[in-house]
Amino acid sequence: MFNSRLLTPVVILAATLLNACTSVTIDEYRQGASHLSDGDAIVLLGRRHSSDYETEPELVSCIGGILEGGTKAINVIGEREFLDSLYPWFEPRTAPMSMKRLDQMSERIEFANALDRYNISYIIWVDGNTETTSSSGSIGCSIGAGGAGCFGFGTWDKESDYEATIWDYKNREILGIVSAGATGTSYMPALVVPIPLIARVQANACKGMGAQLKTFLDPSSAGVAAQ
Amino acid sequence: MNNLTKFLVMTSFLVLAGCENALVVKGNFPTPMIDKIPHKVGVYYEPEFRNYVYKEDSKDRSKWTIDTGEAQMAVLGKVLPRMFTEVVNLSAVPGEAQSQNVDLIFSPRIDEFQYAMPRETKINVYEIWIKYNMRVYNSQGQLLADWLMTAYGKTPTAFMKSKEDAVNEAAVMALRDMGANLSLRFASIPEIKAWLADHQTHATAQTDSVPQQGEANVQ
Repeated sequence: MFNSRLLTPVVILAATLLNACTSVTIDEYRQGASHLSDGDAIVLLGRRHSSDYETEPELVSCIGGILEGGTKAINVIGEREFLDSLYPWFEPRTAPMSMKRLDQMSERIEFANALDRYNISYIIWVDGNTETTSSSGSIGCSIGAGGAGCFGFGTWDKESDYEATIWDYKNREILGIVSAGATGTSYMPALVVPIPLIARVQANACKGMGAQLKTFLDPSSAGVAAQ
Repeated sequence: MNNLTKFLVMTSFLVLAGCENALVVKGNFPTPMIDKIPHKVGVYYEPEFRNYVYKEDSKDRSKWTIDTGEAQMAVLGKVLPRMFTEVVNLSAVPGEAQSQNVDLIFSPRIDEFQYAMPRETKINVYEIWIKYNMRVYNSQGQLLADWLMTAYGKTPTAFMKSKEDAVNEAAVMALRDMGANLSLRFASIPEIKAWLADHQTHATAQTDSVPQQGEANVQ
């Protein structure tokens, strides 16, 4: 039977490998200076117009959580709340794809008033997704009168690729772009019980993107965001 | 039958039952922020629309039953009162609605319903696609406009999210898309645009004297 004393070092070794198998790359392109006063708010919206992928709502909410957290907290309007208040203007097929279109929409008094009520300074469009790029290995499970168990080994690679475009709503200009890419490999050894060792690719892309956006929007928070 | 056999039989039943999915679409739909068209509209929902249930009958696919009737009524219940100054529900076919004293009669119908699962499309999204046939009649019950409108919704796969939750979310997105499309495109359908242009003066004169009371009329 399987020696349980062997399990602990295997898990520790796998956990060490897990940390080594995720890498994050952040890029920033800035076109102008950002300025957030007290009471100013931002909104993070996922781009959902593409037919073959969907920017995950949990990723958008994760980045929002990072911006809202810490000592230099930014006032972030929840994505769902914003979409419902501005319905039907920010749905996947009606959302503005350019600053010019947003400008046209703002000519509607009710639309402009809604954004003013939130005191929106920046609209940040997050576009991208996380996908499994390859997988290998196999795990077999069986059940019998004497018990059940799984044996084998599986591994899969995930890749995150996100781009956040920052629209300055008050000045009607694109302020910059922050992109985050992350790759990682997850493992699933199965010795009687499968032990998933998941590379948190999307979570790391979120952390990287969130920290970079925070310093982008409020450069004075650079030290805080890095912590 | 010993305990192990009983356990295996029950597990088999559970696994087989898992191949059939029944879903009643539920969601909260927002009120649209749009300009009102200054006309009184009657709405006739056919029973097939009101109680629409899609049943997958292909032998090659899992047996899904998706009930969107209540949810699409909820969307239209939010959208139509914001589109028109007054909305009344009609219980008769449009031709018999003359006595209702309405300017236009709106009657939607579903022509086609499709869904796609991640394992079928090889992309990590659940998709719902609905083809609506929207029909608008004048107050005499004559067909004024008849157009097809597609509604599409998708939702990504997520850890710990059940298939039912994902399909529900995709259906809610499709119904939101229907509401958005209807509210923003209605007045630009050529036949309706022409009718609105013809009846502009009349409607303006009416709205000047009649208070707006449409929102309470649709459930």
